Amino acid sequence: MKIIQHLQKRPSLIVYTGIVILAILISNKLGITIDNLGQAWGNAGILWSEMFPPDFSVVTDRASWSQTKCTWEADWACSAAIHGLMETIEIAFLATLFGMLLSLPLSMMAAHNLSPIWLSTITRHFLAGLRVLPSLVWALIFVIMFGPGPLAGVLAMTLYTVGYLGKLQYEALEGVSRHPLEAARAMGLPRWQIARYFALPEASNAILSQILFMFEYNIRHGSVIGLVGAGGIGWYLNNYLGVFSRYDRALALIIVIYVAVVIIDQISLSIRHRFMDSETHAPRARWREIIPFFTKREV
Amino acid sequence: MPGPILSIRQAVIGFEMDNPLLVDVNLEVHPGEIIGVIGRSGIGKSTLLRTIAGLLPPISGDIDVPNEKGEIGYIPQRLGLINHQNVGYNVMMGALARAPFWQTLFSLPGAELRQSARDAIEAVGLSDKVLDSISQLSGGQQQRVAIARSMVQNPSLLLADECLGELDSETAKEIIELIQKLAKESNIAIIIVDHNPVRVATFCDRVLQVKGVRIEEVNV
Repeated sequence: MKIIQHLQKRPSLIVYTGIVILAILISNKLGITIDNLGQAWGNAGILWSEMFPPDFSVVTDRASWSQTKCTWEADWACSAAIHGLMETIEIAFLATLFGMLLSLPLSMMAAHNLSPIWLSTITRHFLAGLRVLPSLVWALIFVIMFGPGPLAGVLAMTLYTVGYLGKLQYEALEGVSRHPLEAARAMGLPRWQIARYFALPEASNAILSQILFMFEYNIRHGSVIGLVGAGGIGWYLNNYLGVFSRYDRALALIIVIYVAVVIIDQISLSIRHRFMDSETHAPRARWREIIPFFTKREV
Repeated sequence: MPGPILSIRQAVIGFEMDNPLLVDVNLEVHPGEIIGVIGRSGIGKSTLLRTIAGLLPPISGDIDVPNEKGEIGYIPQRLGLINHQNVGYNVMMGALARAPFWQTLFSLPGAELRQSARDAIEAVGLSDKVLDSISQLSGGQQQRVAIARSMVQNPSLLLADECLGELDSETAKEIIELIQKLAKESNIAIIIVDHNPVRVATFCDRVLQVKGVRIEEVNV
Protein backbone atom coordinates (compact mmCIF):
# COMPACT_ATOMS: atom_id res chain seq x y z
CA MET A 1 0.00 0.00 0.00
CA LYS A 2 2.84 2.31 0.90
CA ILE A 3 4.39 1.73 -2.54
CA ILE A 4 1.09 2.59 -4.30
CA GLN A 5 0.71 5.74 -2.20
CA HIS A 6 4.28 6.71 -3.02
CA LEU A 7 3.70 6.14 -6.74
CA GLN A 8 0.52 8.23 -6.64
CA LYS A 9 2.56 11.14 -5.31
CA ARG A 10 5.28 10.67 -7.92
CA PRO A 11 3.61 10.04 -11.33
CA SER A 12 6.98 10.29 -13.06
CA LEU A 13 8.02 7.09 -11.26
CA ILE A 14 5.08 5.26 -12.87
CA VAL A 15 6.31 6.39 -16.29
CA TYR A 16 9.95 5.35 -15.62
CA THR A 17 8.85 1.99 -14.17
CA GLY A 18 6.61 1.47 -17.23
CA ILE A 19 9.54 2.18 -19.58
CA VAL A 20 11.79 -0.29 -17.73
CA ILE A 21 9.10 -3.02 -17.84
CA LEU A 22 8.52 -2.33 -21.55
CA ALA A 23 12.28 -2.60 -22.25
CA ILE A 24 12.45 -5.95 -20.42
CA LEU A 25 9.44 -7.30 -22.35
CA ILE A 26 10.86 -6.18 -25.73
CA SER A 27 14.30 -7.68 -24.93
CA ASN A 28 12.60 -10.96 -24.03
CA LYS A 29 10.60 -10.91 -27.28
CA LEU A 30 13.77 -10.28 -29.31
CA GLY A 31 15.61 -13.07 -27.53
CA ILE A 32 18.14 -10.76 -25.88
CA THR A 33 19.00 -12.55 -22.68
CA ILE A 34 21.79 -12.50 -20.12
CA ASP A 35 22.92 -15.91 -21.51
CA ASN A 36 23.44 -14.35 -24.97
CA LEU A 37 25.47 -11.57 -23.46
CA GLY A 38 27.58 -14.11 -21.56
CA GLN A 39 28.42 -15.96 -24.79
CA ALA A 40 29.24 -12.65 -26.49
CA TRP A 41 31.73 -11.85 -23.74
CA GLY A 42 33.54 -15.07 -24.55
CA ASN A 43 33.76 -14.17 -28.25
CA ALA A 44 34.79 -10.63 -27.37
CA GLY A 45 37.71 -12.06 -25.37
CA ILE A 46 38.93 -14.06 -28.39
CA LEU A 47 38.53 -11.04 -30.68
CA TRP A 48 40.34 -8.83 -28.19
CA SER A 49 43.33 -11.19 -27.94
CA GLU A 50 43.59 -11.40 -31.74
CA MET A 51 43.27 -7.68 -32.19
CA PHE A 52 46.19 -6.72 -29.98
CA PRO A 53 48.69 -5.45 -30.76
CA PRO A 54 47.34 -3.65 -33.86
CA ASP A 55 49.35 -4.43 -37.00
CA PHE A 56 50.30 -1.13 -38.60
CA SER A 57 51.77 -2.80 -41.65
CA VAL A 58 48.46 -1.73 -43.22
CA VAL A 59 49.96 1.78 -43.34
CA THR A 60 53.37 0.78 -44.71
CA ASP A 61 52.93 -2.30 -46.93
CA ARG A 62 51.51 -2.28 -50.44
CA ALA A 63 48.07 -3.88 -50.68
CA SER A 64 48.44 -5.77 -53.95
CA TRP A 65 44.82 -6.92 -53.73
CA SER A 66 43.39 -3.39 -53.78
CA GLN A 67 39.99 -2.91 -55.40
CA THR A 68 41.17 -0.09 -57.68
CA LYS A 69 44.57 0.16 -59.36
CA CYS A 70 47.22 2.05 -57.40
CA THR A 71 49.93 3.59 -59.59
CA TRP A 72 52.08 5.20 -56.92
CA GLU A 73 55.61 3.83 -56.55
CA ALA A 74 55.84 4.23 -52.80
CA ASP A 75 54.47 1.18 -50.97
CA TRP A 76 52.89 3.26 -48.19
CA ALA A 77 50.90 5.28 -50.75
CA CYS A 78 49.36 2.04 -51.99
CA SER A 79 48.81 0.57 -48.55
CA ALA A 80 45.35 -0.52 -47.45
CA ALA A 81 45.07 2.39 -45.01
CA ILE A 82 46.35 5.26 -47.18
CA HIS A 83 44.96 4.06 -50.52
CA GLY A 84 41.64 3.18 -48.88
CA LEU A 85 41.44 6.44 -46.98
CA MET A 86 42.24 8.50 -50.07
CA GLU A 87 39.58 6.61 -51.99
CA THR A 88 37.05 7.27 -49.22
CA ILE A 89 37.87 11.01 -49.30
CA GLU A 90 37.66 11.03 -53.11
CA ILE A 91 34.26 9.29 -53.03
CA ALA A 92 33.03 11.73 -50.36
CA PHE A 93 34.29 14.72 -52.37
CA LEU A 94 32.56 13.67 -55.58
CA ALA A 95 29.36 12.70 -53.77
CA THR A 96 29.26 16.04 -51.94
CA LEU A 97 29.96 18.00 -55.11
CA PHE A 98 27.36 16.19 -57.24
CA GLY A 99 24.92 16.16 -54.32
CA MET A 100 25.31 19.92 -53.83
CA LEU A 101 24.87 20.68 -57.54
CA LEU A 102 21.66 18.66 -57.61
CA SER A 103 20.31 19.70 -54.21
CA LEU A 104 20.67 23.48 -54.69
CA PRO A 105 18.04 23.86 -57.44
CA LEU A 106 15.86 21.23 -55.75
CA SER A 107 15.99 23.07 -52.41
CA MET A 108 14.94 26.31 -54.13
CA MET A 109 12.02 24.44 -55.67
CA ALA A 110 11.13 22.93 -52.28
CA ALA A 111 11.18 26.20 -50.31
CA HIS A 112 7.63 27.46 -49.65
CA ASN A 113 8.71 31.10 -49.80
CA LEU A 114 10.28 30.71 -53.25
CA SER A 115 8.07 28.27 -55.12
CA PRO A 116 4.38 27.69 -55.72
CA ILE A 117 2.89 25.28 -53.21
CA TRP A 118 2.34 22.47 -55.75
CA LEU A 119 6.01 22.50 -56.81
CA SER A 120 7.40 22.71 -53.28
CA THR A 121 5.16 19.84 -52.14
CA ILE A 122 6.23 17.55 -55.01
CA THR A 123 9.92 18.42 -54.50
CA ARG A 124 9.72 17.83 -50.75
CA HIS A 125 8.19 14.40 -51.32
CA PHE A 126 10.97 13.58 -53.80
CA LEU A 127 13.67 14.65 -51.30
CA ALA A 128 11.96 12.70 -48.51
CA GLY A 129 11.90 9.66 -50.82
CA LEU A 130 15.69 9.89 -51.25
CA ARG A 131 16.12 9.99 -47.49
CA VAL A 132 13.99 6.93 -46.86
CA LEU A 133 16.93 4.63 -47.59
CA PRO A 134 20.24 5.17 -45.80
CA SER A 135 23.33 5.43 -47.99
CA LEU A 136 24.31 1.86 -47.03
CA VAL A 137 21.17 0.48 -48.68
CA TRP A 138 21.66 2.72 -51.72
CA ALA A 139 25.22 1.35 -51.89
CA LEU A 140 23.89 -2.23 -51.84
CA ILE A 141 21.51 -1.39 -54.70
CA PHE A 142 24.25 0.24 -56.79
CA VAL A 143 26.73 -2.57 -56.09
CA ILE A 144 24.12 -4.95 -57.54
CA MET A 145 23.60 -2.61 -60.54
CA PHE A 146 27.19 -1.56 -61.31
CA GLY A 147 29.26 -4.13 -59.44
CA PRO A 148 31.58 -3.48 -56.49
CA GLY A 149 33.74 -0.35 -56.62
CA PRO A 150 33.87 3.39 -56.01
CA LEU A 151 31.22 4.16 -58.68
CA ALA A 152 28.55 2.47 -56.57
CA GLY A 153 29.82 4.42 -53.54
CA VAL A 154 29.73 7.78 -55.32
CA LEU A 155 26.21 7.18 -56.65
CA ALA A 156 24.90 5.95 -53.30
CA MET A 157 26.31 8.85 -51.34
CA THR A 158 25.26 11.37 -54.00
CA LEU A 159 21.64 10.29 -53.73
CA TYR A 160 21.73 10.40 -49.95
CA THR A 161 23.47 13.80 -50.06
CA VAL A 162 20.78 15.21 -52.36
CA GLY A 163 18.01 14.08 -49.99
CA TYR A 164 19.71 15.22 -46.83
CA LEU A 165 21.35 18.43 -48.05
CA GLY A 166 18.22 19.39 -49.99
CA LYS A 167 16.20 19.32 -46.79
CA LEU A 168 18.77 21.32 -44.82
CA GLN A 169 19.03 23.86 -47.61
CA TYR A 170 15.31 24.46 -48.13
CA GLU A 171 14.95 24.96 -44.38
CA ALA A 172 17.77 27.53 -44.52
CA LEU A 173 16.13 29.26 -47.50
CA GLU A 174 12.79 29.37 -45.73
CA GLY A 175 14.50 31.01 -42.75
CA VAL A 176 15.51 34.01 -44.87
CA SER A 177 13.87 37.32 -43.94
CA ARG A 178 10.77 38.05 -46.06
CA HIS A 179 11.70 41.72 -46.54
CA PRO A 180 14.37 41.37 -49.27
CA LEU A 181 12.17 38.82 -51.03
CA GLU A 182 9.20 41.20 -50.96
CA ALA A 183 11.34 44.04 -52.31
CA ALA A 184 12.35 41.72 -55.16
CA ARG A 185 8.77 40.56 -55.79
CA ALA A 186 7.55 44.17 -55.93
CA MET A 187 10.24 44.84 -58.57
CA GLY A 188 8.56 42.17 -60.65
CA LEU A 189 11.53 39.79 -60.68
CA PRO A 190 10.82 36.19 -61.67
CA ARG A 191 11.02 33.49 -58.98
CA TRP A 192 14.36 32.11 -60.15
CA GLN A 193 16.03 35.54 -59.89
CA ILE A 194 14.58 36.06 -56.41
CA ALA A 195 15.92 32.65 -55.37
CA ARG A 196 19.31 33.06 -57.06
CA TYR A 197 20.10 36.68 -56.21
CA PHE A 198 18.17 37.38 -53.00
CA ALA A 199 17.42 34.19 -51.06
CA LEU A 200 20.59 32.25 -51.83
CA PRO A 201 23.08 34.98 -50.79
CA GLU A 202 21.06 35.65 -47.63
CA ALA A 203 21.19 31.96 -46.70
CA SER A 204 24.75 31.48 -47.99
CA ASN A 205 26.42 31.20 -44.58
CA ALA A 206 24.14 28.40 -43.48
CA ILE A 207 24.32 26.64 -46.85
CA LEU A 208 28.13 26.70 -47.03
CA SER A 209 28.30 25.42 -43.48
CA GLN A 210 25.89 22.59 -44.37
CA ILE A 211 27.94 21.61 -47.44
CA LEU A 212 31.10 21.35 -45.35
CA PHE A 213 29.24 19.36 -42.72
CA MET A 214 27.95 17.03 -45.43
CA PHE A 215 31.47 16.51 -46.79
CA GLU A 216 32.68 15.61 -43.32
CA TYR A 217 29.64 13.32 -42.84
CA ASN A 218 30.28 11.62 -46.19
CA ILE A 219 33.89 10.88 -45.24
CA ARG A 220 32.72 9.26 -42.01
CA HIS A 221 30.02 7.39 -43.85
CA GLY A 222 32.35 6.44 -46.69
CA SER A 223 33.97 3.97 -44.30
CA VAL A 224 30.64 2.22 -43.83
CA ILE A 225 29.55 1.85 -47.45
CA GLY A 226 32.87 0.13 -48.20
CA LEU A 227 31.61 -2.75 -46.07
CA VAL A 228 29.16 -3.69 -48.84
CA GLY A 229 31.80 -3.37 -51.56
CA ALA A 230 31.22 0.24 -52.58
CA GLY A 231 34.89 1.22 -52.39
CA GLY A 232 36.98 3.09 -49.87
CA ILE A 233 38.68 2.05 -46.67
CA GLY A 234 35.58 0.15 -45.52
CA TRP A 235 36.22 -2.41 -48.24
CA TYR A 236 39.67 -3.21 -46.79
CA LEU A 237 38.20 -3.27 -43.29
CA ASN A 238 35.53 -5.72 -44.41
CA ASN A 239 38.16 -8.02 -45.91
CA TYR A 240 40.35 -7.95 -42.80
CA LEU A 241 37.32 -8.70 -40.62
CA GLY A 242 35.86 -11.34 -42.97
CA VAL A 243 37.95 -13.10 -45.62
CA PHE A 244 41.39 -12.65 -43.99
CA SER A 245 40.25 -12.67 -40.35
CA ARG A 246 43.18 -10.37 -39.51
CA TYR A 247 41.67 -8.52 -36.57
CA ASP A 248 45.00 -6.90 -35.66
CA ARG A 249 45.10 -5.23 -39.08
CA ALA A 250 41.41 -4.35 -38.84
CA LEU A 251 42.11 -2.60 -35.53
CA ALA A 252 44.97 -0.66 -37.14
CA LEU A 253 42.60 0.45 -39.90
CA ILE A 254 39.98 1.50 -37.33
CA ILE A 255 42.64 3.60 -35.55
CA VAL A 256 43.63 5.20 -38.89
CA ILE A 257 39.97 5.98 -39.65
CA TYR A 258 39.53 7.46 -36.17
CA VAL A 259 42.60 9.72 -36.50
CA ALA A 260 41.56 10.82 -40.01
CA VAL A 261 38.01 11.60 -38.90
CA VAL A 262 39.23 13.62 -35.91
CA ILE A 263 41.60 15.67 -38.12
CA ILE A 264 38.95 16.24 -40.82
CA ASP A 265 36.36 17.15 -38.14
CA GLN A 266 38.68 19.80 -36.76
CA ILE A 267 39.52 21.28 -40.17
CA SER A 268 35.85 21.28 -41.17
CA LEU A 269 34.78 22.79 -37.84
CA SER A 270 37.30 25.61 -38.08
CA ILE A 271 36.15 26.46 -41.63
CA ARG A 272 32.46 26.10 -40.77
CA HIS A 273 32.96 28.37 -37.79
CA ARG A 274 33.60 31.17 -40.27
CA PHE A 275 30.26 30.56 -41.92
CA MET A 276 28.16 29.99 -38.84
CA ASP A 277 25.35 32.48 -38.66
CA SER A 278 24.78 33.01 -34.98
CA GLU A 279 23.60 36.57 -35.53
CA THR A 280 21.01 37.60 -38.08
CA HIS A 281 23.22 40.36 -39.39
CA ALA A 282 26.48 38.47 -39.37
CA PRO A 283 28.64 39.54 -42.30
CA ARG A 284 28.93 37.02 -45.07
CA ALA A 285 32.06 34.95 -44.69
CA ARG A 286 34.35 35.40 -47.61
CA TRP A 287 36.50 32.70 -49.12
CA ARG A 288 39.18 35.34 -49.60
CA GLU A 289 39.56 35.45 -45.82
CA ILE A 290 40.02 31.70 -45.76
CA ILE A 291 42.09 31.49 -48.94
CA PRO A 292 44.48 34.45 -48.52
CA PHE A 293 45.62 34.59 -52.14
CA PHE A 294 42.06 35.18 -53.34
CA THR A 295 41.87 38.72 -54.67
CA LYS A 296 39.24 41.32 -53.79
CA ARG A 297 36.32 41.51 -56.14
CA GLU A 298 35.50 44.80 -57.81
CA VAL A 299 31.86 45.90 -57.97
CA MET B 1 -0.15 67.38 -65.66
CA PRO B 2 0.62 63.89 -67.02
CA GLY B 3 -1.80 61.05 -66.31
CA PRO B 4 -1.64 59.27 -62.96
CA ILE B 5 0.96 56.59 -62.45
CA LEU B 6 -1.19 55.00 -59.73
CA SER B 7 -4.92 54.95 -59.63
CA ILE B 8 -6.93 53.28 -56.86
CA ARG B 9 -10.72 53.18 -57.11
CA GLN B 10 -13.14 52.03 -54.43
CA ALA B 11 -10.61 49.59 -53.04
CA VAL B 12 -11.12 47.56 -49.89
CA ILE B 13 -7.80 46.53 -48.38
CA GLY B 14 -6.94 44.01 -45.68
CA PHE B 15 -6.79 40.29 -45.04
CA GLU B 16 -10.38 39.38 -44.15
CA MET B 17 -13.47 40.36 -46.07
CA ASP B 18 -15.46 40.62 -42.82
CA ASN B 19 -12.85 42.75 -41.14
CA PRO B 20 -11.04 44.97 -43.67
CA LEU B 21 -8.32 47.36 -42.62
CA LEU B 22 -9.20 50.08 -45.13
CA VAL B 23 -12.38 50.68 -47.10
CA ASP B 24 -13.34 53.04 -49.88
CA VAL B 25 -9.75 53.84 -50.81
CA ASN B 26 -9.52 56.25 -53.73
CA LEU B 27 -6.20 57.68 -54.75
CA GLU B 28 -4.41 59.07 -57.77
CA VAL B 29 -0.68 59.69 -57.77
CA HIS B 30 1.14 61.52 -60.58
CA PRO B 31 4.78 61.28 -61.69
CA GLY B 32 7.12 63.34 -59.54
CA GLU B 33 4.64 63.61 -56.66
CA ILE B 34 5.61 62.74 -53.10
CA ILE B 35 2.71 61.45 -51.02
CA GLY B 36 3.03 60.98 -47.27
CA VAL B 37 0.87 58.45 -45.42
CA ILE B 38 0.50 58.87 -41.68
CA GLY B 39 -1.53 57.13 -38.99
CA ARG B 40 -1.09 55.19 -35.81
CA SER B 41 0.72 51.83 -35.72
CA GLY B 42 -1.12 48.74 -36.94
CA ILE B 43 -3.83 50.70 -38.72
CA GLY B 44 -3.01 49.41 -42.21
CA LYS B 45 -0.44 51.79 -43.70
CA SER B 46 2.06 49.04 -44.52
CA THR B 47 -0.74 46.79 -45.81
CA LEU B 48 -1.77 49.60 -48.15
CA LEU B 49 1.77 49.80 -49.56
CA ARG B 50 2.08 46.01 -49.85
CA THR B 51 -1.21 45.92 -51.73
CA ILE B 52 -0.08 48.65 -54.13
CA ALA B 53 3.19 46.75 -54.58
CA GLY B 54 1.22 43.69 -55.67
CA LEU B 55 2.30 41.60 -52.69
CA LEU B 56 -1.28 41.31 -51.43
CA PRO B 57 -4.46 41.31 -53.49
CA PRO B 58 -7.09 43.93 -52.64
CA ILE B 59 -10.31 42.50 -51.17
CA SER B 60 -12.21 44.43 -53.80
CA GLY B 61 -11.86 47.48 -56.03
CA ASP B 62 -9.37 48.40 -58.74
CA ILE B 63 -5.73 49.27 -58.43
CA ASP B 64 -4.02 50.38 -61.63
CA VAL B 65 -0.23 50.39 -61.35
CA PRO B 66 2.49 50.12 -63.96
CA ASN B 67 2.71 46.39 -64.55
CA GLU B 68 5.98 46.17 -66.42
CA LYS B 69 8.99 44.59 -64.74
CA GLY B 70 10.92 47.09 -62.61
CA GLU B 71 8.26 49.81 -62.70
CA ILE B 72 7.52 49.53 -58.97
CA GLY B 73 10.19 50.04 -56.34
CA TYR B 74 9.51 48.96 -52.78
CA ILE B 75 11.54 49.73 -49.68
CA PRO B 76 10.06 47.60 -46.88
CA GLN B 77 10.02 48.64 -43.25
CA ARG B 78 13.29 46.83 -42.58
CA LEU B 79 14.69 48.03 -45.93
CA GLY B 80 14.86 44.57 -47.48
CA LEU B 81 18.62 44.58 -47.89
CA ILE B 82 20.65 41.40 -48.21
CA ASN B 83 22.58 41.53 -44.97
CA HIS B 84 25.16 38.94 -45.94
CA GLN B 85 26.23 40.90 -49.01
CA ASN B 86 28.07 44.15 -49.50
CA VAL B 87 26.80 47.59 -50.51
CA GLY B 88 27.71 47.13 -54.18
CA TYR B 89 25.81 43.86 -54.49
CA ASN B 90 22.70 45.29 -52.84
CA VAL B 91 22.65 48.34 -55.11
CA MET B 92 23.17 46.10 -58.15
CA MET B 93 19.97 44.28 -57.22
CA GLY B 94 18.08 47.31 -58.47
CA ALA B 95 19.65 46.76 -61.89
CA LEU B 96 18.29 43.21 -62.11
CA ALA B 97 14.85 44.55 -62.97
CA ARG B 98 16.27 46.48 -65.93
CA ALA B 99 18.73 43.89 -67.23
CA PRO B 100 17.90 41.55 -70.11
CA PHE B 101 17.22 37.95 -69.06
CA TRP B 102 20.39 36.50 -70.61
CA GLN B 103 22.60 38.99 -68.76
CA THR B 104 21.41 37.76 -65.37
CA LEU B 105 21.48 34.05 -66.10
CA PHE B 106 24.89 33.33 -64.58
CA SER B 107 26.05 36.58 -63.05
CA LEU B 108 25.07 40.14 -62.32
CA PRO B 109 24.23 42.64 -65.12
CA GLY B 110 26.79 44.12 -67.50
CA ALA B 111 29.12 47.09 -67.52
CA GLU B 112 26.54 49.78 -68.22
CA LEU B 113 24.32 48.82 -65.31
CA ARG B 114 27.35 48.38 -63.09
CA GLN B 115 28.31 51.95 -63.90
CA SER B 116 24.82 53.15 -62.98
CA ALA B 117 25.21 51.32 -59.66
CA ARG B 118 28.54 53.09 -59.06
CA ASP B 119 26.89 56.44 -59.87
CA ALA B 120 24.01 55.76 -57.46
CA ILE B 121 26.41 54.77 -54.69
CA GLU B 122 28.33 57.97 -55.28
CA ALA B 123 25.10 60.01 -55.27
CA VAL B 124 24.18 58.70 -51.81
CA GLY B 125 27.70 59.32 -50.54
CA LEU B 126 28.78 55.74 -49.96
CA SER B 127 31.63 55.45 -52.49
CA ASP B 128 34.07 54.43 -49.79
CA LYS B 129 31.73 51.70 -48.50
CA VAL B 130 31.14 49.75 -51.72
CA LEU B 131 32.69 46.55 -50.40
CA ASP B 132 31.44 46.92 -46.83
CA SER B 133 28.91 44.42 -45.59
CA ILE B 134 25.44 45.81 -44.79
CA SER B 135 25.86 44.78 -41.16
CA GLN B 136 28.86 47.10 -40.88
CA LEU B 137 26.77 50.16 -41.77
CA SER B 138 24.79 52.50 -39.55
CA GLY B 139 20.99 52.79 -39.86
CA GLY B 140 21.29 55.95 -41.96
CA GLN B 141 23.84 54.37 -44.29
CA GLN B 142 21.56 51.35 -44.76
CA GLN B 143 18.70 53.69 -45.74
CA ARG B 144 21.01 55.24 -48.32
CA VAL B 145 21.80 51.82 -49.76
CA ALA B 146 18.07 51.10 -50.10
CA ILE B 147 17.60 54.44 -51.87
CA ALA B 148 20.59 53.83 -54.14
CA ARG B 149 19.07 50.46 -55.07
CA SER B 150 15.85 52.26 -56.06
CA MET B 151 17.85 54.86 -58.04
CA VAL B 152 19.45 52.09 -60.11
CA GLN B 153 16.10 50.41 -60.58
CA ASN B 154 14.63 53.76 -61.68
CA PRO B 155 10.97 52.80 -61.09
CA SER B 156 7.94 54.92 -62.02
CA LEU B 157 6.50 54.45 -58.55
CA LEU B 158 8.50 54.06 -55.33
CA LEU B 159 6.84 52.80 -52.17
CA ALA B 160 8.82 53.45 -48.99
CA ASP B 161 7.55 51.98 -45.74
CA GLU B 162 8.84 53.93 -42.73
CA CYS B 163 12.19 54.28 -44.44
CA LEU B 164 13.01 57.25 -42.22
CA GLY B 165 12.44 55.00 -39.21
CA GLU B 166 14.03 56.15 -36.03
CA LEU B 167 16.77 58.22 -37.65
CA ASP B 168 18.12 61.29 -35.93
CA SER B 169 16.94 64.58 -37.43
CA GLU B 170 20.23 65.29 -39.21
CA THR B 171 20.35 61.92 -40.98
CA ALA B 172 16.61 62.00 -41.71
CA LYS B 173 17.10 65.40 -43.37
CA GLU B 174 19.81 63.96 -45.63
CA ILE B 175 17.61 61.01 -46.59
CA ILE B 176 14.66 63.36 -47.28
CA GLU B 177 16.86 65.42 -49.61
CA LEU B 178 17.72 62.24 -51.50
CA ILE B 179 14.03 61.30 -51.78
CA GLN B 180 13.14 64.77 -53.06
CA LYS B 181 15.99 64.61 -55.57
CA LEU B 182 14.77 61.21 -56.75
CA ALA B 183 11.22 62.51 -57.25
CA LYS B 184 12.12 65.74 -59.00
CA GLU B 185 15.10 64.68 -61.13
CA SER B 186 13.83 61.26 -62.18
CA ASN B 187 10.13 62.17 -62.11
CA ILE B 188 9.37 59.23 -59.84
CA ALA B 189 6.11 59.16 -57.88
CA ILE B 190 6.85 58.33 -54.26
CA ILE B 191 4.51 57.16 -51.52
CA ILE B 192 6.19 57.26 -48.15
CA VAL B 193 4.74 55.94 -44.91
CA ASP B 194 5.93 57.73 -41.81
CA HIS B 195 4.75 58.08 -38.23
CA ASN B 196 5.91 61.69 -37.87
CA PRO B 197 3.26 64.08 -39.31
CA VAL B 198 5.37 67.21 -38.84
CA ARG B 199 8.32 65.70 -40.71
CA VAL B 200 6.10 64.41 -43.52
CA ALA B 201 4.56 67.87 -44.00
CA THR B 202 7.99 69.37 -44.68
CA PHE B 203 8.71 67.43 -47.86
CA CYS B 204 5.51 65.79 -49.15
CA ASP B 205 3.26 67.34 -51.78
CA ARG B 206 0.22 65.73 -50.19
CA VAL B 207 -0.35 64.01 -46.86
CA LEU B 208 -2.90 61.24 -46.36
CA GLN B 209 -4.01 60.22 -42.91
CA VAL B 210 -5.44 56.82 -42.10
CA LYS B 211 -8.26 57.30 -39.61
CA GLY B 212 -10.21 54.23 -38.57
CA VAL B 213 -10.78 52.36 -41.82
CA ARG B 214 -10.66 55.38 -44.12
CA ILE B 215 -7.95 57.46 -45.74
CA GLU B 216 -8.35 61.19 -46.00
CA GLU B 217 -6.15 63.98 -47.26
CA VAL B 218 -5.09 66.37 -44.51
CA ASN B 219 -3.33 69.68 -44.20
CA VAL B 220 -0.68 69.21 -41.59
